[in-house]
Amino acid sequence: MSANRWFATGNFYTTYREEQRIFVTHLDRLFFSLLLIGLFAWPLLVPTSNRNMLVINNILIAVVAVYGLNLVTGFAGLISIGHAAFVGIGAYTLAGTAGAIGESHVLITHAWPLMILASGCMGAAFGAFVGLPAMRLKHLYLAIATLSFQMIFSWTINFMTFFNQGQMIPVGRVFWINGPVGRNEHYLFWYYVILVTAVACGLGVRNLLRTRYGRCLVAVRDNDRAADAMGMHPGLTKVYAFALAGFFAGIAGALHTYMFRGAGFESFTLHHSIIYLAMAIVGGLGTLPGSLLGPVAIQILELQMEHLSEWAGALLPANMNLATAMRPLGFGLVIVLFLMFEPRGIANWWRICRTYLKLWPFRY
Amino acid sequence: MSYFFQLMVSGIVVGSIYALSALGFVLIYKSSRVLNIAHGQIIAGGAFIVFALTVWVGIPIVLSFLASLVITFFLAMSVERIFLRRLIGEPIISVIMVTIGLMSILDGVIYLTPFGSMNYSFPEFLPTTPLSLGGVSISWTQLVGVVITAILIGAFSWFFKSATLGISMRAVSDDQLASMSVGISVPRVFGLAWALAGLSAAGAGAIIGNITGLNYETLRAFGIAVFPVVILGGLDSIIGAVVAGIIMGLIQQFAAGYVDGNWGLNGTADVLPYVILLVILLFKPHGLFGTHEIERV
Repeated sequence: MSANRWFATGNFYTTYREEQRIFVTHLDRLFFSLLLIGLFAWPLLVPTSNRNMLVINNILIAVVAVYGLNLVTGFAGLISIGHAAFVGIGAYTLAGTAGAIGESHVLITHAWPLMILASGCMGAAFGAFVGLPAMRLKHLYLAIATLSFQMIFSWTINFMTFFNQGQMIPVGRVFWINGPVGRNEHYLFWYYVILVTAVACGLGVRNLLRTRYGRCLVAVRDNDRAADAMGMHPGLTKVYAFALAGFFAGIAGALHTYMFRGAGFESFTLHHSIIYLAMAIVGGLGTLPGSLLGPVAIQILELQMEHLSEWAGALLPANMNLATAMRPLGFGLVIVLFLMFEPRGIANWWRICRTYLKLWPFRY
Repeated sequence: MSYFFQLMVSGIVVGSIYALSALGFVLIYKSSRVLNIAHGQIIAGGAFIVFALTVWVGIPIVLSFLASLVITFFLAMSVERIFLRRLIGEPIISVIMVTIGLMSILDGVIYLTPFGSMNYSFPEFLPTTPLSLGGVSISWTQLVGVVITAILIGAFSWFFKSATLGISMRAVSDDQLASMSVGISVPRVFGLAWALAGLSAAGAGAIIGNITGLNYETLRAFGIAVFPVVILGGLDSIIGAVVAGIIMGLIQQFAAGYVDGNWGLNGTADVLPYVILLVILLFKPHGLFGTHEIERV
């Protein structure tokens, strides 16, 4: 590789190892470090209301969940219309435990990192189970399997007394080194926890994709027969992709439960599965930056839509019911328009900028 | 014993509605391999058009039923033309996601109308006293529903068996390249498949609306409820959709009649189809009548 590791004006890879580096140039590394420092430092510099913090935490939780969805739908090419159910599995693993042993049990309040991990593992187990038809079937049937899992999940939560029939199950406040996390620091504390989780998961996914297990997913997506011929097991790979998706979803669910201090049925419906899909598509399927950009874009869209429907609701007759109509209409339009005109998502714009800058000022 | 027969009759009624709903779904899948997730919205739309024409415009209900079939025919055709035509040849994953987006859009459009939040019911046009046959009662709305379903399914099977267009649709689902070479316009067949699916969905919607009343959530749920039916029957089999629809209706009614309330279980009719779906996917993925493709996994 050329000596200049700050401004590489092209690809100079001579080994596969070089191509698989996480940061191609020092500039990338610098950008990433600055981004991280910024993310960690800004809450200390800018005072933020709890309401805004809640929105930001929601985005970050969605980022963790979308990592999983992007792995299974983007990288492994299997449509999952039940991702919110996997998030729900994570949330209800935690909430169910809290309901069974008491919401302020030491396991819930002190061993919360362990609980989050356990929720992830539970999500992975369910993911693998739902992915089992993948041993024999192609993605069409898998989409239906995940959809039916979503329905079964909703029914289980709504009808089982153990899950409080879909009503809120409370979870106690957690402890940090200096005692319980109070009401005022709650959102700030969870911002940091979720941020660390999101960064760790992101690095995990990035590294996974450099290993043979990650490349295996992409190979099976692109051509499962060829992958089979090269010694991979397509069926097992698909099950494993579902398990991974379930893992990230489970973690996101546990974080969701801790942040809202409880789990209720209404956060894990089919509608939410579709929102997760919209996030993955808008961000860019099969790209890592897409998992970050998608949730941000959709959340901003949702907030704007709220403003718009408030503004328009005042002008139109009351029975037009605009507020309920705007959300599905907006999501649907965004999904369809992105699929028709920019199937590679926002991440593609980012990629175009990078390629442009790479050769700048020497364009073709 | 009459309880058993009563459950059986209502099972057949529900099942025949399932059959009609699943029919449209299978039509689209069979011709273009698209999984139409927005089917429930089209069903609801058909029912609402009948209501709007009957009550707000004032056309007799039989005429507005027929008009609704025609309107949905063209609506579904234009949906195919606008959204799906340009996706021919794209990976199947993006086509399915477009139908998911479509579902969301149609949701939004229906929420804009009064139907999104209000409950309506069709004006009474049938005798309200139920028919009674040896202790088993069946209401006129149910009876008419079953009869209309039977007529529509019969018309469809005649169409696919004998009409030139129907035969060309079967040809396309069998082999697109070969049917193109004998002069069949494949995109036109896709459009026609969507149109016919819209037509049958509108029929199903009107019948459901007549039996249960016009509630958007109930009508929309039929779009998801067809999935267990089509998986049981085989995704690409029309006869499978009919048989599996009736089986599924019977299973649901018997579950509601005999399981609910026992062993602490409630609402099993809502979940049982999906459990059956997962089991079928694991053990007999092509359903009862579906084509056994040579799977490549």
